[in-house]
Amino acid sequence: MTDLQTILDIVAQSRALYADVFTAAARYLVPALAALLLLHCARPLLSFRREPEIWAWLKFTDGSQVAVTHWENVIGRSKSSDITVALSTVSRNHAVLTRYDDGSWTITDASSKTGTWVNGERVSICALHSGDVISIGGVDMELTPITKRQEQLQSQLRTKGSSGWSSLLGLMLLTLMQALMLTGFLLSGEPEEYPAYLLGFGVVFLCQWALFLFYTVIRRSSFEVETIAFFLCTLGIAALATVKPGEMLKQSAAMIMGVGMFLLIGWSLRDLERAKRFRYLAVLAGVGFLVVTLLFGKEYYGAKNWLVIGGLSLQPSELSKVCFVYAGASTMDRIMNKRNLILFIAYSIVICGLLALMNDFGTAMIFFCAFLIIAYLRSGSVGTIGLACTALGFAGVLALRIAPHALNRFATWRHVWDNPFTSGYQQTQAIMCIASGGLFGLGPGKGFLQKVFAADSDIVFATISEEWGLILALMAVLAVAALGFFAIRTSRVSRSSFYCIGGCTAAGILLIQASLNCLGTVDVLPFTGVTFPFISNGGTSMIGAWGLLAFVKAADTRQNASFAVRFSK
Amino acid sequence: MNRVTKRSWLMCLFIFLLLGGMGFFVMEYTVKADAWVVAPGSPHVFKGSNLGNGVVVDRDDVVLLDVENNRSYSDNAETRASTMHWLGDRQGRIQAGAVGSYAALMSGYDKVNGLYDFAGGSGVARLSLSARVQNAALRALNGRKGTVGIYNYKTGEILCAVTSPTYDPDHVPDVEADTSGKYDGVYLNRFLQSSYVPGSIFKVVTTAAALECVPDIESRTFTCDGAYEYGTEAVTCETAHGTLDLKGALAHSCNCSFAQIAKLVGKKNMEKYVQKFGITESVSFDGVTSASGHYDISDTGGASFAWSCIGQHSDLINPARFMTFMGTIANGGRGVELFLVSSVTRGEEVLYEAKGRQTDRIMSKTTAEKLQSYLRNNVQTIYGDGHFPGLSVCAKSGTSQLGGGQKSNAMFSGFVLDEAYPLAFIVVVENGGYGSATCVPVLSPVLQECKAVLDAE
Repeated sequence: MTDLQTILDIVAQSRALYADVFTAAARYLVPALAALLLLHCARPLLSFRREPEIWAWLKFTDGSQVAVTHWENVIGRSKSSDITVALSTVSRNHAVLTRYDDGSWTITDASSKTGTWVNGERVSICALHSGDVISIGGVDMELTPITKRQEQLQSQLRTKGSSGWSSLLGLMLLTLMQALMLTGFLLSGEPEEYPAYLLGFGVVFLCQWALFLFYTVIRRSSFEVETIAFFLCTLGIAALATVKPGEMLKQSAAMIMGVGMFLLIGWSLRDLERAKRFRYLAVLAGVGFLVVTLLFGKEYYGAKNWLVIGGLSLQPSELSKVCFVYAGASTMDRIMNKRNLILFIAYSIVICGLLALMNDFGTAMIFFCAFLIIAYLRSGSVGTIGLACTALGFAGVLALRIAPHALNRFATWRHVWDNPFTSGYQQTQAIMCIASGGLFGLGPGKGFLQKVFAADSDIVFATISEEWGLILALMAVLAVAALGFFAIRTSRVSRSSFYCIGGCTAAGILLIQASLNCLGTVDVLPFTGVTFPFISNGGTSMIGAWGLLAFVKAADTRQNASFAVRFSK
Repeated sequence: MNRVTKRSWLMCLFIFLLLGGMGFFVMEYTVKADAWVVAPGSPHVFKGSNLGNGVVVDRDDVVLLDVENNRSYSDNAETRASTMHWLGDRQGRIQAGAVGSYAALMSGYDKVNGLYDFAGGSGVARLSLSARVQNAALRALNGRKGTVGIYNYKTGEILCAVTSPTYDPDHVPDVEADTSGKYDGVYLNRFLQSSYVPGSIFKVVTTAAALECVPDIESRTFTCDGAYEYGTEAVTCETAHGTLDLKGALAHSCNCSFAQIAKLVGKKNMEKYVQKFGITESVSFDGVTSASGHYDISDTGGASFAWSCIGQHSDLINPARFMTFMGTIANGGRGVELFLVSSVTRGEEVLYEAKGRQTDRIMSKTTAEKLQSYLRNNVQTIYGDGHFPGLSVCAKSGTSQLGGGQKSNAMFSGFVLDEAYPLAFIVVVENGGYGSATCVPVLSPVLQECKAVLDAE
């Protein structure tokens, strides 16, 4: 026993030396692992191709036939239609041909001039059966879906999701990185904070492996998007461990709830009909969250965006973002309906008004960008976007005149070094600490920024950069960019515009949040105090980020890739 | 579908915003990172405006401050107290700009590794101060307020610059609660930041001016019968000094004689020479600048002008500046720039080495040599050589009256004329009373300590 005690004493005495030696190695190993991990995860996300697919044939009376290559197809005179019928009697966007999960088809009239006729009857929407004659602008045609066997063969041609082994390798790389980071904290950190370190890294470890096991059980093998999210979460834990280890329990719980939210939304998106039903709920919830905040919320630093319930501080606007994506995503048959777009614009105006009342500039900016993405994807009109931007310009000028706190942020933009001890304090400290950390960081717990306000949220990019190096912080940025690229890629193979719009908007929100956060910190953009998805400390922000990720994941139609996509039968 | 999927290019804009913005920052980083790290307030380099990294040692490599571990100061309590004003305290109440200005250099920054530093290869700033001498001076001041400054007038290195009161930074007293007044102005570095009424040490300035501009001044004599009518008022001495020449007038510090000398020099010349000798200018070294002095005779006439030449009226001098004036006399009319930080090293690498550069000539060699002999005569005939065994000390004392019933400040300034010990000094004891009686016992042990330090080198 005495010998053991002696050994333990010697180890305890040499802790500082071990910590120094460990940091000397880990500061290169951690970014190297992160780079490897990111390459490993991003490659399959960026490289998959859109295989040509044919879901049905549209046969004309003259014997000619046209391939139906999507689940949602616009038939019209316009060249950009999926199926072009170049006749003056046909409207530019005449009708939408939609395939459902069960293989059934419908045709929906898109407010055409001459109407859509099935078996001689004018229809607005009609389920199609074998032998039905569709008549558009005087042209008769018949839809012949491919056979089940053909469907099976076709699905095998789809890009394969990454294998379980590849996902396992990615996850093991991440686990190794987490182990290194945790060891760093155990050696360099405060002994009284050990439980917090173990809890934080432990929960992210358990979450990622539990989710992976769940995927294995339900025979889904692609884990890149999730690995990237867990990578970002790990960086968040590392920042929290150094800034506010006391809040680790809260943040860990939020991460678990976030993964729950991810699964719930993913499940809701699995079935398009279910997703459409969820949509109404989400529309109401989106407004509801903001109204409740406005009525019962607390104002911090000029923005009334906090709700305190039983000692827990919540930012419901973070969840409203997820609802907004739901509200904005739409299937083609609805997109072709102008009334639908007007309703969405009206909804956006309500949301925008509520945010203006809350005085939350950063969040308003994010919603505006989300609106832009949705509006453009739906309408495709650059003019609309131009008008929206002009409107924003006017609203912005007005807001700046009314809200001095927002004006201050603009006044310091690109001038933070003029007042490094007052208005520019947070950012100049952040920038100086990023430089102090160099490319590889000063080591866990060795940063100064932990003493600066919002080191775990608004300027978390700098906190990570100071202790773990600029390279690792840039990995976080690249990770979010990879999700953005992935959303573009998957949009090409989306079966429904609902997933395409949902995925792009969700990824867009993640991108704009990351941009405002890290570029605000380093004074490239105005400092808006927006959270970095998955990294910044904040429960609702974490849950919201996972919710958005579900939309990105749901758009992944690679074979066996996403739980949000059913197996092809 | 085609349309919607094609429109997803819009996302590229957002990716471009993120990556482009970050790219822009990385570009800024490669160009500006080294400037950011050392910008004012940089937390790893500075603590407030004090040094926030590295180690500070004295001229004998005695560690005075190791910034790691919550700023650990010397393990000697006396050294901690005597050097704190040059190192800065933990709370940031005492700003030590001189070592602070080398913080950036000491940090050893590079853009790849930042400030990361394996196995404690931190920067070392070596001061020209001697902890031994500092301690001797603090002991000699014995709790009285004031300062002792000594520098090498050939090289410019400051050996001693003690300010009192001070305290041990490891045992910070409750300064706010103290009512005894013993900590009044404790955060002030009196050597650097204070200005004092010079009293009779200013007579050296008047003497120098007279030697420079009154051709036959040495052959003139002045009569003192205790009072000298000048204009409507009289300038007085405590005793009648009888007839004195310039040398005698300086030795006896005879006010009446100096009133007559002032008359010979005239207002214009006094203004000219005060300016030429730089008496009221601030002195800068190692990034810090001293308080400036004051000499304004625009509204004087008669006796008030005479008093201004005797170091009263509205005259003020800064100890560091006046000490360099005395050093310049010792050095033959041309001075050298002061320095406190003699070198900055990092491992084997020498990052900075002080060079005491010569300053412009302020008086002729003849005047300087004449003044040397006069000041030497002061010590030999008045203050007593016995106080300074083994040293040829030249000096002038001053008893500056403060008014308001306050006890006079005791002043003593001069230099050692030995080749081996080229030291100039100033001693100020606030409310110390009679100049030489108070200051000589303070200076005596400190000069001996300096001598021992220089002998050891």
